[in-house]
Amino acid sequence: MSDVTFKPKRKSGPIKFATIGAWLISLLFFLPIAWIVSTALKPKGSIVVSPPVFFFRPTFDNIIEALSFDNTLDYFTHSVIYSFGSVSLAILVSYLAAYSFSRFKPAGTDFLMFLLLSTRFVPAAAFVIPYFQLFNLLRLKDTYIGLIAFYTMFAIPFSVWILKGFLDGVSQRFDETGLVYGASRFHIMFKVILPQVKPGLVAAFVFNILFVWNEFLYNFQLGGAKTYGIPVGLFTGSTKGGGIDWAYVASIGTLYVLPLVVVIYVFQKYLLVGLTFGTVRGEV
Amino acid sequence: MAKSVETLEQSIKDVPKAKKLESKKTWLSWGLLAPVLFFFILMSVLPTVWMFGLAFYDYTLTSAQNPRFVGFDNFRDFLANRALAGAVSRTLIFVLSAVILQTILGILIGVLFWKNDKMPGRRLALTLLFTPMVVTPIATSLFWKFILDPTLGVLNFFVSTFGFDRIDTLSSTTLAFPTLVFVDTWMWTPFMTLMTLAALGSVPKAELEAARVDRLPLTRLIRTVIWPHAKFILGLGLLLRIIDAFKTMDLAYVMTGGGPGDRTELIAVSLYRFAFKSFKLGYSSAVSVFLLFVAIALTAIYLYVLNARKKAEE
Repeated sequence: MSDVTFKPKRKSGPIKFATIGAWLISLLFFLPIAWIVSTALKPKGSIVVSPPVFFFRPTFDNIIEALSFDNTLDYFTHSVIYSFGSVSLAILVSYLAAYSFSRFKPAGTDFLMFLLLSTRFVPAAAFVIPYFQLFNLLRLKDTYIGLIAFYTMFAIPFSVWILKGFLDGVSQRFDETGLVYGASRFHIMFKVILPQVKPGLVAAFVFNILFVWNEFLYNFQLGGAKTYGIPVGLFTGSTKGGGIDWAYVASIGTLYVLPLVVVIYVFQKYLLVGLTFGTVRGEV
Repeated sequence: MAKSVETLEQSIKDVPKAKKLESKKTWLSWGLLAPVLFFFILMSVLPTVWMFGLAFYDYTLTSAQNPRFVGFDNFRDFLANRALAGAVSRTLIFVLSAVILQTILGILIGVLFWKNDKMPGRRLALTLLFTPMVVTPIATSLFWKFILDPTLGVLNFFVSTFGFDRIDTLSSTTLAFPTLVFVDTWMWTPFMTLMTLAALGSVPKAELEAARVDRLPLTRLIRTVIWPHAKFILGLGLLLRIIDAFKTMDLAYVMTGGGPGDRTELIAVSLYRFAFKSFKLGYSSAVSVFLLFVAIALTAIYLYVLNARKKAEE
């Protein structure tokens, strides 16, 4: 009997319902951010009002004004300099280390990998004092050298973990074949193996930029007027003149958030490995 | 097969020239590690050693006294400090309630998206869902402060429209803490969704297909097919979330500043306050040493689960 009733199951009804549900949940999670973006686009005089305004003609006035403040653009420039500088450096040195860990497994590899990961598991506030004093002592406070050195170490654990994971997936045969043919180790590392771990490099780069870009506490304590980035700018600029300047928060917040949305859209498949510090890879 | 390769390698190692190659390899392996070790020693080991040292001194920036060696006094003070014990237990409650909520919601949403793997605009929907967790907590805290504002906030507008009194959630002694848990849940539920999707993705398609053909009942499907594969990634997600929730600082610092009173004073907030408000460097270093050990223990547990997964896969 059953062969008569056997038909491909059509589940279009409940599936569509579930689709709507999934979309609604996504929109609900995005709503607070959408509210901030819409606030940034409101005309002056309808931001700090009660009741809140829901319908308005969008304008860029707030954003233009926030950008015209003395140091707004500086914050962006500083963030770009120290995050790209440190992450590029971190990825270069991490690639060398990960290659060594993966191919030569020097004594203590596991222990070092463990220590590297644990540095990312300590509350940021726990280490801020020794860094603060060290930076004062070495005269590194409010310098790019200091911040880039700090953020390089900040980005190394994740980069090493993720690159080692990818390198372990590339057969040693490639190295051996290269050596047999007389290629230098340098050539093998950068011309043969490197192209095969490109996804790892991309993930490490994108997510470390994101982490450094978002970091607040150390930039606040170890930086200064010459090196403050956007999160600090948002925090200090928001409280200019007593109360919180909501137009400023919404405008800078919008300029800060929208590129992130694009990054998440483009690099979605790397999000998992990024947020697990390179320890978990898989499909989403 | 493997054995013969090993013996072959062994016989190669016996050749003197190969021995030279071995030592060259050792030299190369440490040479490649050198730059990372340089940064690690300068920017991690040195501050850690410094912090351990500070923890044994009575060192207050604002006092004229020179730092004085006091042995384990800071640790004794810290263990006897009732306020700090309060902060620790508050942090535990925060971690527990936030992580449980996020896990349940995250799994439910994850399953919904997993079932809908061909829904239109899935990538965009997931992007919107994932955005809260990649925005710096400084920004999201400010955003929520605006939304929750008693007079300007859009949430209180709806509350008053429905005939209730406007509430200042962030300065309410009863509501401040739950509000913090709520905002943290908004931020991090997407993370558990991400981990759920990854965990479900780690179940081999063939096994799912076989279960479908066998018409396995749902409870058995979960127990015998999905769980054995999914548990590892889910467990790692849970651990990462616990570790991260235990580190929460920016959120509480910006939204409530630990208040009202000490209602939202989490351990990381206390730590920051000791260091940069009361300038007790020695004392706060002692607390940091304690937190460092907690972090190392959590890392060990995390790697244990990670290795268990690797073994199960082999």
